[in-house]
Amino acid sequence: MRQILWQREVRADCWRYPGEAGDGPLVQTLSELLADANRPPGAGTGVWLGPIDEVALLVPQLPQLALIVVNFEASGDGRGYSQGQLLRQRLGYQRELRAAGAIRRDHLFLLARCGFDAFDFAPGEDPRAALAGLDSYSVGYQPASGTLVQPRMRTPG
Amino acid sequence: MYKYDEIDRRFVNERVAEFRDQTRRFLAGELTEDEFRPLRLRNGLYIQTHAPMLRVAIPYGLLNTRQLRMLAHIARRYDRGYGHFSTRQNIQYNWPKLAEVPDILAELATVEMHAIQTSGNCIRNVTSDHLAGVAADELEDPRPWCELIRQWSTLHPEFNYLPRKFKIAVTGAPNDRAATAVHDIGLQLVRGADGGLGFEVLVGGGLGRMPIIGKRIRAWLPQQELLAYLEAILRVYNRYGRRDNIHRARIKVLVKSLGMEEFTRQVEAEYAANRALAPRVGAAAIARLRASFAPHPYQQLDEPDPTAGAAASFIAWYRHNTRAHKVRGYRVVFVSLKRHGEAPGDMTAAQMDALATLADLHSFGEVRVTHDQNLVLADVAQRDLRALHAALVPLGLATPNIGTLTDMICCPGLDFCSLANAGSIGIAKQIHAQFDDLDYLYDLGEIQVKMSGCMNACGHHHVGHIGILGVDKHGEEWYQITLGGSATGEVALGEVIGPSVPKLDVAATLERIVGVYLEQRDGEAETFLQVVRRIGIAPFKERAYAADTVAA
Repeated sequence: MRQILWQREVRADCWRYPGEAGDGPLVQTLSELLADANRPPGAGTGVWLGPIDEVALLVPQLPQLALIVVNFEASGDGRGYSQGQLLRQRLGYQRELRAAGAIRRDHLFLLARCGFDAFDFAPGEDPRAALAGLDSYSVGYQPASGTLVQPRMRTPG
Repeated sequence: MYKYDEIDRRFVNERVAEFRDQTRRFLAGELTEDEFRPLRLRNGLYIQTHAPMLRVAIPYGLLNTRQLRMLAHIARRYDRGYGHFSTRQNIQYNWPKLAEVPDILAELATVEMHAIQTSGNCIRNVTSDHLAGVAADELEDPRPWCELIRQWSTLHPEFNYLPRKFKIAVTGAPNDRAATAVHDIGLQLVRGADGGLGFEVLVGGGLGRMPIIGKRIRAWLPQQELLAYLEAILRVYNRYGRRDNIHRARIKVLVKSLGMEEFTRQVEAEYAANRALAPRVGAAAIARLRASFAPHPYQQLDEPDPTAGAAASFIAWYRHNTRAHKVRGYRVVFVSLKRHGEAPGDMTAAQMDALATLADLHSFGEVRVTHDQNLVLADVAQRDLRALHAALVPLGLATPNIGTLTDMICCPGLDFCSLANAGSIGIAKQIHAQFDDLDYLYDLGEIQVKMSGCMNACGHHHVGHIGILGVDKHGEEWYQITLGGSATGEVALGEVIGPSVPKLDVAATLERIVGVYLEQRDGEAETFLQVVRRIGIAPFKERAYAADTVAA
């Protein structure tokens, strides 16, 4: 079973990603989610976002979502950082926001600053060892959605 | 200048520790080369032709003498006794050892320096006017804003993995000496209708393979909105810039494909939606930054004619290597790094140490790096000029050629860079040899020659009055020549005059080109660039390739 880092704990993951077999609750792709208008309200639903998926399309479903997975297709592809910031800051999403794909411990600090609280690492990265990446820095300059550090710069709001 | 506080200090130290661990993991085989590359690039470390190359940030080109001495120490201890000042006001070391780079960064941190984001697809070192704070035409010193941008862009959580590199330049003077129009974002301080200061914002400029002059996205941006607006531009770029093709990934391509109107609409919409969440420039914060760059304690001095009774060598240096200062009795002194026989921008550790001593004596302990790969002592009392000149001459730092044709800018080229097609440094030597008569150089007046060893354009050839670009033709070095570019004032891109010329003919071709200028100019007051603009490139083109007739 997949091991993920969630709120500084390593835990086994119960979710099934798109295309995976098994018993757990299914994470839908964005298009599946948007097509599935008959979903019972209140059900804990998971959605899988690729780098080009528009987060604003999630607004009507947001209250039902228990998990949003943002997939990083390549380690240099930074679109997911903006998706995280928008989901947390502008859309006010508060439940699990997971970074998956080509992520390693060296990305953890910035991902957490952008509001990610769960991490499904690239193969070969030990989640327990990677945890140290969250504490690479104790300071930061910019306001962001995560609460890892107290930023020097302030927002008007 | 700006002094680190506890947050800045802690941050750079944590950065060094992080990179030390990443280097250790790479050397231990825990990180592959592909995984390590983006990490080392964000700490200024390239793998070049011979060895790693380390690019150290000199934020907006400003150094104190403690920092300059540290650069000398690093050159001596970790490199081969010299460093290379780049066209982006940074310094590069060509021979560091990978395993020692964390130690170099730790030493830099002790003098409030770093190599953060000097490479990689992130926001690079912010650049500015090398005459900031001393130029009479300035509306406001741009450096507090540069420092603010430095902090904001440093490890920005959202914008550290952009589609491509991202360069921001700031000028506080209407006569733009920072080439803001050829940056991803160019900021110019302007006065608004109410008399207050704000920014004019340009976006999408750049050189490289697709040279473009930036377009104005905002004629007026209130100062306190600066970071919110930068965040809006960066967010639109980060989300929608192309990532499938490295040559189409700069923001200029996004601006072009969306069209300026649609791009502007998206940025303005993002700005409006995000204003409450973006960092606001607080009055107290900017006041603290302004205080960091408060004017030096200048004395009230007379202004005697420094050339009266002086030797001819001093007079030539005074005329060419010094400029007006906004305070009476002071001059701005350019330290030429364009001596015949040396690669443009190179400086030895001994020269750095000696210059640090001179800057302590004569220029309030500060030194600046220019876009033209020279250094500046910005605040020298006129009465000290003769002593300073006498000290610079034996150091080889007083070549009186600032602004002349031999004050070339030049990338490291084939000698060091794995991208280059051409040995730009060798061509620089050839040009120095051809134009070794100072009186002739002075007669030619102001001519900016800019040379790049490949189309990535690190030597900014597009904006040289004369631009020289190295191209590879079947394994041989050839050189394409452009005329009429300009990096200052109203920025312009040069026009290619025709087929490239073989390596050995470059200097002779330049000689023929300037010959046309000498014949066509309307008196000495008309500069090379003015003549090119007036008569067009056709007469130059005709002569440039007429080697036989000249030889006959």
